[in-house]
Amino acid sequence: MNPTTSTSSLKCVVVTPEKAVLDVKAEFIVLPLYDGEFGVLPGHAPLVGRLGPGELRVKQGEKTLAYFVDGGFAQVRANVVTVLTPRAIEAKDVAPIPSQQMLADALAMPADTPRQRELRDAAIASARARIRISEKYT
Amino acid sequence: MANSRVLLKRRKAVRNIRKITRTMELIATTRFKKALDRATEAEAYTRKIAELAVDLSCSAGEVSHPLLEKRPTIRKNLLLVLTANRGLCGGYNSNVLREAARRIAELRTANTEFDLEMSGKRGATWCRFQGLALSAFYDKFEDKPQFAQVAELATKYITLYVGGQIDRLDVAYMKFHNPARQEAVVETLLPLSTLVTSTRHGCDPVAADGTTAVDYEYAPSAADILSELVPMAFQVRLFKCFLDAAVSEQIARRIAMKAATENAAELIKSITREYNRARQAHITKELAEIIAGAEALK
Repeated sequence: MNPTTSTSSLKCVVVTPEKAVLDVKAEFIVLPLYDGEFGVLPGHAPLVGRLGPGELRVKQGEKTLAYFVDGGFAQVRANVVTVLTPRAIEAKDVAPIPSQQMLADALAMPADTPRQRELRDAAIASARARIRISEKYT
Repeated sequence: MANSRVLLKRRKAVRNIRKITRTMELIATTRFKKALDRATEAEAYTRKIAELAVDLSCSAGEVSHPLLEKRPTIRKNLLLVLTANRGLCGGYNSNVLREAARRIAELRTANTEFDLEMSGKRGATWCRFQGLALSAFYDKFEDKPQFAQVAELATKYITLYVGGQIDRLDVAYMKFHNPARQEAVVETLLPLSTLVTSTRHGCDPVAADGTTAVDYEYAPSAADILSELVPMAFQVRLFKCFLDAAVSEQIARRIAMKAATENAAELIKSITREYNRARQAHITKELAEIIAGAEALK
């Protein structure tokens, strides 16, 4: 590894299939991995991880950007953190009411086959994460 | 001798048509630009997914995923055709439908059962005309297909495929190569042929460009991530089909409207010429009459 990179700052890139959401410098990034939050500081070892629905935080000095990401993948390499996610919404734009409705819809989904259960669990987890974030930021 | 008033009226009508087609051309141009921007934005995501897939398959080795396995016998085929909701776009719809019809004929000769799904009102009309039954029809994908909508569709297909209700998924659409070249194609999306579209740097520890391949940490294991990545790759592929179709539609519409505008301009020219000739003939005739009248009075 290049030792000089460890002192410099991180770069955070968030892309969804529809657009490139974010491309900024950061000091510290928290990724919502599938099994819990995961902090990345400059000079982190290369990593590929699966994301769960949750909150992505990007710290830039005093300011912290917060996003809701709906699963996907994260790649850490040479101080660049790339987040690939089907959906990324700024945390303050996650509205509580549709999130509650989503949870109700998710709970009402059929769960007769393993495949259906899988989809239902994913939808429930996503809706719960939305509710958590909307409560935190409103 | 053509009536000059009729000619004037016709010229006015053609001028109005030219105005309309010209506006439609401009609208198609802006929509095309927007659609192309979206397609380029999606490109970044596709490229990243492909890169990840390369890195992962280097660590995880051969992957086996239900979506990647080719089935020995195809009992049921699903054909999704992407057409436009509206016409006035030249040969766009008919080219896609011709490809689709060819695939349908192939399936019929092979005696394979198939379901037909259609996006776009034009295609639905064609099916009614051909007497083909549609198992699903979508008209919500306009020139800005949303990823969430496409992902929903993709999830449905994955469920059908994994559950064994379909053995193959084909998509007929207009593939976008560059602004000057689009091509109607039928592509097999399921089973996914390859996850890794281009193995640029292969799996060697030292790549061709001299940089060493990165040794990643994986959370969870590389194989687990890959199995998550496969459905994602399929969703993106399907989304790309929709985006390509949207871009191609706008290009086709722009070209058709451009041709229409040019034709109208030419028509106006020829009508003007005819009108002037008629006017001239009228004047000459009147003059001749006056002179003849004056002669008679002498």
